[in-house]
Amino acid sequence: MSIVALGIIIAIKVVIILAIILGIGAYLTLVERKVAAHIQRRPGPMVVGWHGLLQPLADGIKLLTKEDILPSSANQVLYNLAIIMALVPASLVFAVVPFGPEIHVFGYDIKPILTDVNIGIIMAFAFGSLAVYGVALSGWASNSKYALIGALRKAGIIISYEVVITFAALGPIMLAKSLSTYDIVMAQIHQKVWYIFLQPISFVVFVFALLAETGRVPFDIQEAEAELVTGFTVEYGGMKFGLFPLVEWYVEVLSLSSILTVLYLGGWSPINIPFVGFIDPLFFLGPWSGFIWFIIKVTILFLLVLWLHWTLPRYRIDQITTIAWKVMLPLALFNILITTFIAPLLRG
Amino acid sequence: MIKKVFEKPLNFLETILFLDFIKGMSITIKQAFTKTITTHYPYEKLTPPKRFRGFFGHKTVNGLEPQPAFDEWVERMKIEPRPGQSRCVVCYLCKKACPVPDLFEIDGKKLENGKKVVSVFNMNLMLCTFCGLCVDACPVDCLFQSDIHETASFSRKDAILNLEKLEAIGKSWQDRREHEPDRIWIDDDARQALWRENKLNLKKVDNA
Amino acid sequence: MQASERTLNEIKAKLPYVEVKKDKLLSIVYVQKELLINTLKAIKEDFGFKLFIDHSVVDTLEAQNRFEAFYILYNVDTKERIVVKTRTEHSLPSAEKLWFAAKWAERECYDMFGINYEGHEHLVRAFMWDTYSYHPLRKDFPLQGYETVELPSLNETVFGDTLSGTMNYRRTHTYVPTLKDLEYTEKNRIKKKAQVVLNWGPLHPGTHGTMWFLFDLEGERIVQTDVILGQLHRGVEKLAEHEPYQQFLVYTDRMDYISALCSNQAWTVAVERLLGIEDIVPLKAKYIRTMMSELQRINSHLLWLGTYALDLGALTIFLYAFKEREKIMDIIEGITGARLTISYTRIGGVRMDLPEGALEVIESFIKFFPKELKDWEKILSRNRIWVKRNKDVGVLSKEDIYFYGLTGAVARGSGVFYDIRKLEPYDAYSMVEFDVPLGENGDCYDRYLVRIEEMKQSIRIIEQCVQKLKTMSSNEPFMAESQDPKKLKLTLDGIGLKVPAGEIYSSGENPRGELGFYINSKGGLKPYRVKIRPGSFYNLCVYPHLMENRYVADAVTILASLDPVVGEVDR
Repeated sequence: MSIVALGIIIAIKVVIILAIILGIGAYLTLVERKVAAHIQRRPGPMVVGWHGLLQPLADGIKLLTKEDILPSSANQVLYNLAIIMALVPASLVFAVVPFGPEIHVFGYDIKPILTDVNIGIIMAFAFGSLAVYGVALSGWASNSKYALIGALRKAGIIISYEVVITFAALGPIMLAKSLSTYDIVMAQIHQKVWYIFLQPISFVVFVFALLAETGRVPFDIQEAEAELVTGFTVEYGGMKFGLFPLVEWYVEVLSLSSILTVLYLGGWSPINIPFVGFIDPLFFLGPWSGFIWFIIKVTILFLLVLWLHWTLPRYRIDQITTIAWKVMLPLALFNILITTFIAPLLRG
Repeated sequence: MIKKVFEKPLNFLETILFLDFIKGMSITIKQAFTKTITTHYPYEKLTPPKRFRGFFGHKTVNGLEPQPAFDEWVERMKIEPRPGQSRCVVCYLCKKACPVPDLFEIDGKKLENGKKVVSVFNMNLMLCTFCGLCVDACPVDCLFQSDIHETASFSRKDAILNLEKLEAIGKSWQDRREHEPDRIWIDDDARQALWRENKLNLKKVDNA
Repeated sequence: MQASERTLNEIKAKLPYVEVKKDKLLSIVYVQKELLINTLKAIKEDFGFKLFIDHSVVDTLEAQNRFEAFYILYNVDTKERIVVKTRTEHSLPSAEKLWFAAKWAERECYDMFGINYEGHEHLVRAFMWDTYSYHPLRKDFPLQGYETVELPSLNETVFGDTLSGTMNYRRTHTYVPTLKDLEYTEKNRIKKKAQVVLNWGPLHPGTHGTMWFLFDLEGERIVQTDVILGQLHRGVEKLAEHEPYQQFLVYTDRMDYISALCSNQAWTVAVERLLGIEDIVPLKAKYIRTMMSELQRINSHLLWLGTYALDLGALTIFLYAFKEREKIMDIIEGITGARLTISYTRIGGVRMDLPEGALEVIESFIKFFPKELKDWEKILSRNRIWVKRNKDVGVLSKEDIYFYGLTGAVARGSGVFYDIRKLEPYDAYSMVEFDVPLGENGDCYDRYLVRIEEMKQSIRIIEQCVQKLKTMSSNEPFMAESQDPKKLKLTLDGIGLKVPAGEIYSSGENPRGELGFYINSKGGLKPYRVKIRPGSFYNLCVYPHLMENRYVADAVTILASLDPVVGEVDR
């Protein structure tokens, strides 16, 4: 391919990914509020637009037009840098997520993944680790006791669960014999089995680590309103305050759910019967059915995360770190031990 | 007489299969698909029951006064009853019954034929506790509490009820709700949204 | 009941320097100030009156020894109550080594009367700020205070209005504390031992009202705490001395505003006992009062459950509990006319009979409610996160209950059988059957289980009351008729009700603990001194002890399981 065509394709991919993240991220606030409201037997936002469909627009305008406060004893550079350090790494994870199979458009073969490096999974987890900086910097720069306590708690949780999530992800990597995200999905398709059926322990550990990294119940001790009143974001206002939950609760959940579908649920493949084959009820969509299946799986995972959020109570901070190091990590290591016996039995 | 409370701890199978989480989640998902119970105020409103203790009013002289109490008090305090206006006999019993000393400001004036009539009746509702002791004290069923509960205003003067406002509230109440039976509440759609799941069917009571 | 003749004679034999007296309503032991601590120690240890109920002071305005102090104690094994009295001019020895609850009661007496307690560890004011210079409950302090500050009234004069016709809106006020006063109070309250002093409150969504906690933190661990109260202090005891007995009822609503009918009932029963008319209150009124009080108990426990789950993260239980609460409030609104500040009971009965359809609605409610409660228990009770957060957190032993004067569900969670409804029955409680749940370990999990079980027992009581009320016709009286209207005037509005001279302590079982009223009357329309014994105040005094060496996250759990309400704590 010529350089110009390559450039145009990359630009189109970047625009699509950014639009999806920011647009869908805003509308996911409405989805969460509606789902939470119906679980609680009330209708949720109903006034702005039909059944509240324009509510994210109203919220966005409200947050953008608020006064931009800077506490007088806060460190200005770090205060503003913290927001950037939170938003950018969470979005960068989408660079290594494959959305569908290879498609042929206008005579070009395009893989719907921004960069298919051969260490894709490690890049994803590396970007996740950078999220600690946003938290720690905002807690320090705010110069307030509550913010400091919240930031220290959150940083401790993220660091512990980074280790857990990496060890849990080693299972499917060993089964697929590759670190590239595209190759992991292709391996599941060739071996005709989703790795969730071979790695149930690792799947459960990954889900818990997902909830902890993104600050969702039962690990949201950081935002425990009764104690810390929104934790490390307590000194922020306006859109700067709005960006933190957007990034943490929605963009990071989406990105880690995408990694979860890639590793365990076979990416864009349709419904799977283990070791036999695939059934595709959406065959009439042709090559685009893969994209639809990917979106369906991420949606189901997101709704599962919401369902857990609005049902369970939350753990205490020392219990969270105890679970990470004393329960989850041994389970992940035990899972690796079992996988060493299973992996040579799979071909392809 | 004594009951010891105790709850079984989780056994091993329940721990690894997360059965406690799954049971809890099944309850919430079932609730998510049932109808909502809220009332969308201010587009839908609940009607307060007959006994509601809202703003005050003076009932007017229209032939439905409690006899023989009204005639006795009119004679004792030498009042001239005027049809269509307040029944008050200026006995000061409501002021004595009120827990707040400065709430009532009552005065009567003498007419040419020697009889008295009420001229000033101010209630300072910024101090009121809405307890209803004054309503219990009134011997001629004049002072009563209506169903007005949306009482926000922009200035303190709107919270002082004088004789005209009290008579207006009383007249409107006597037209709208005087003849309602003493039932626990009126069945309207907004109330059914909350009570539908209890499968409540109250007997219909005709207007007394 | 009060202590028997035999107990009093035994006390007189053992301690010859006291005088004992037993009248119809109270058993009293009089002692000199110097021998007070020995007497209290002997009564506590040798005669078993271990549970501390209350301590306060009456200002009798006599020339010598104007203050009369009293201590009320209870013996849980023999179910006897005793009052120990002494007189002083301006100081008393401190009883804080015998009961910790006395430490807080003494702070309050120092604040309100100016009595100096010798041997008290840290004598600061309980409700007022530390630089306040008066002692409000003395008889020479006027009811409206000393109005020395001119505070201009707010918006209307800005718009050019002159406030005419607004019925004398006063512009001079009593002194309002400034930020400097509050900072001085905070610095004086706790001596910093560790890294950081964190202010939790007074405006905070997690503290169940405006309570001000100071945490001395070392990292995440708490080294010591203390509580600053008084942000909601309204001077109810001072107001009681200027209100007739029936009119004081509206103030009892506003103390524990969540279960207002129980407080109303406790006050009404106290005055009825002082008048001696408890037997002529009609049966219908007793059953109605019991039924409404149990509905309020469910109401209050639902609020507790909702906010407890909300503080710990299970956000949907809050809304489910409020759905059922809304139904109860609809029932109470239909019967009495108000949802929160109810004032439905009158001295001698209730205000109005039940309307048409009330019993059917209550029946349909109690048929549906146990199913909902079982569903919520499935979400919470055996959930491993809930159990981990609550087990072995905030453990109280039986000795702690006696030492800190704890009552209500907190005491029952540790296995002490203390329920006023069974020990000193009032209204229709002696005629209905119900069980009293007791816990074992005394941690937060047991208190949670005890309160859930109490809700189920309340359903049982309401069912029996509804069955009984269905058999009563609508012509039966709901208000007592006085036998001698010239001596005792019992009306719905309470004008002219005269109470003979005497004193009484009577308490009722509120959902939050024991709410007691000590009424000292010198004859006439208005009481001479009313002391309110709030359950939440003494339940809160164990909080600094429970929070030592725990995490900040446990602060919420323990506070929610003690279930304080600031209106009752501060009065």
